[in-house]
Amino acid sequence: MSRLFKAAFVAALVLVAFGGCGKKAEKTYLVGVTGPFTGDGAQYGEMLRMAAEMRADEINAAGGINGIPLELEFQDDKGDPKEAANAAQKLGSNPNVLAVLGHFNSSCSLAGKEVYNSMGVLQLSPGSTNVTVCEGGDWTFRNVYRDDFQGQFIADFIKYVLGYGRVAVFFDNDDYGRGLRDSFAERAEEIGLEIVREEAYVRDTQEYTPQLTQIIAKKPDIIFISGLYANGAMILTQARNLGVETPFIGGDGLLSADLVTNAGKASEGVIVTCPFLPTVGEEKTRNFVTSFKQRYGTEPDAWAALTYDALGIVAEAVEKAGPDRKAIRDYVAAMDSPEKGYDGVAGLTYFNADGDCLKPLIVAVVKDGEFVPFEKQAEDLERAKEALRVSAPAEPSPPEGS
Amino acid sequence: MFLQQLINGLTIGAVYALIAVGYTMVYGIVELINFAHGEIYMMATFVAMTLFRLAGYPLWIAAPAAIVAAMIMGVTLEYIAYRPLRRSPRLVALISAIGASLFLQNLAMKIWGARRQPFLDAERPLAFFQVKHQLVVPVLGEATFSNMQITILGTAAAMMIFLTLIVGKTKLGRAMRACAQDQVAAKLMGVNVDRTISATFAIGSAMAAVAGILVGMKYNQVWPMMGYMAGLKAFTAAVLGGIGNMPGAFVGGLVLGLAEGFAGAYISSLWMDAIAFALLIIVLIYRPSGILGQQIPRRT
Repeated sequence: MSRLFKAAFVAALVLVAFGGCGKKAEKTYLVGVTGPFTGDGAQYGEMLRMAAEMRADEINAAGGINGIPLELEFQDDKGDPKEAANAAQKLGSNPNVLAVLGHFNSSCSLAGKEVYNSMGVLQLSPGSTNVTVCEGGDWTFRNVYRDDFQGQFIADFIKYVLGYGRVAVFFDNDDYGRGLRDSFAERAEEIGLEIVREEAYVRDTQEYTPQLTQIIAKKPDIIFISGLYANGAMILTQARNLGVETPFIGGDGLLSADLVTNAGKASEGVIVTCPFLPTVGEEKTRNFVTSFKQRYGTEPDAWAALTYDALGIVAEAVEKAGPDRKAIRDYVAAMDSPEKGYDGVAGLTYFNADGDCLKPLIVAVVKDGEFVPFEKQAEDLERAKEALRVSAPAEPSPPEGS
Repeated sequence: MFLQQLINGLTIGAVYALIAVGYTMVYGIVELINFAHGEIYMMATFVAMTLFRLAGYPLWIAAPAAIVAAMIMGVTLEYIAYRPLRRSPRLVALISAIGASLFLQNLAMKIWGARRQPFLDAERPLAFFQVKHQLVVPVLGEATFSNMQITILGTAAAMMIFLTLIVGKTKLGRAMRACAQDQVAAKLMGVNVDRTISATFAIGSAMAAVAGILVGMKYNQVWPMMGYMAGLKAFTAAVLGGIGNMPGAFVGGLVLGLAEGFAGAYISSLWMDAIAFALLIIVLIYRPSGILGQQIPRRT
């Protein structure tokens, strides 16, 4: 490489990097979007980005917000709490950013929480389900349910709907997996569901045979996976390879078409609780799924749907309350009952005083390689509990008539 | 139970050993920790997956092609990222290595996406590798293992013998040993140092590719970040065995694999990584040059 060529190359890079900064764009409403766009969780970040871009384009195609186009600023948190704090700082310190969508990982939302609260900018997470994410923060919200709600639900569902008494737990040792497992275990103890064996793993684990061997020795009726689909797929495959016939159940971390792609036949019959299913919902949901598929060639997952709704909530707040951080926050905080809630593609969203969302969940099952609604749903659990007169789980409880 | 964990641990260890050899060979010659080595392993696995599952070629075409691709990548990596810096302070090359590693990770994400993908084709299951055997040994207990595990152990052993022969018996091997001792003297003796270093990268990358293909077949999952942890573990194995020492890399890999396997089974899988790295610290405290490493006088 000649020196001249090198110099030209560097000059070209500099031009590419700074070229866009020269001209000043006309007035736009800027909303920050942050999530794991690279790194180990990038498959989730991809969904967040696609859904946010699609929603923004739809809003702008319809004339923007009060005639002013909506612009997104993406900040990568790499799924890493340290990077998340940086991303939060960058977005929060830019006075043009009206609100922030994200983060995805609970640990990232927790890392960014302080920044958003001190800088006074609304944070709306479409994916962080850890219990403490919105606790004690006036500016932190989420449009997804909490792990404790989900964990309690799964325990109840196993005991009262599926009718099993002995369960083994496999959990991912991070904020998500452990949080979900904790609330599950707490509820299991309350209702007398016996946990016969618990095994933890870390995200990079590939070999689960030793733990599976220990688990089968205890002969559980069902195995609960509190973790993400990538590990779930390997656990399922290795379990079926060992000849384990025990049914599996999991939280929304397992909900991904890739669970089926990666685990193949081993994923058949797995029960999963989730906030959204592409095949469930009204016309609005169907339209969303169709146009998402048309645009990206892939089916939206729950996180895409929740991001799509989250941006809708923010856009509505900007439209009704004006381009002011405090006004936007107050508008969202006032969505505190079903009547004032936001009716999106992933159901009705409204918030409690903490900023947590009260939302029903759907029970899905893998059948012929697809996630379809399970034969028994939340109503069946309510009915079963009604019949047995079991006390309701602690707050937050699912809204009535879901 | 014990025997089962022994076999599991050895299988994991054999994979670490295959990757560790690349680290140790490169370090032996250019004294550089090639942090992009784990990414070569990842890229090779992706190439094999693309040819095998996406393009539908049989494994006996996909695997050698991926190995060749890895060798080309390794040589190119050295040519672009390390060779221009050979006379710079060592830290500069190290940073270049980290940069190359990040570049390759993101390149893989651009090409194949960030999601985890299956390696095997559901339509063409490699039934041979799924065949299981039962082994009962008095005292040690019983174990089940598959042809896949035999393949991994066998391949690792064969590669090790092959490599020992190359380094010990061939002209290239002699050139490599000469460069490791003293590059200037080797050059004066007529050794083509550049070509020898390229060959070292090519061989190390080929070993990583073999490891990647085996892992892809066993765990049936490929993703752009898979090289990160595998690279870190293999690096640990190389240091554990004595960096720059080839049999050491194998011993280090097996020790690490066994430690992890037993920790996972008898303590908790949460302690697996902690134990692996604690082992590294203990060895470095009591044997700073590694299990098989010799104390070499400092070069001047």
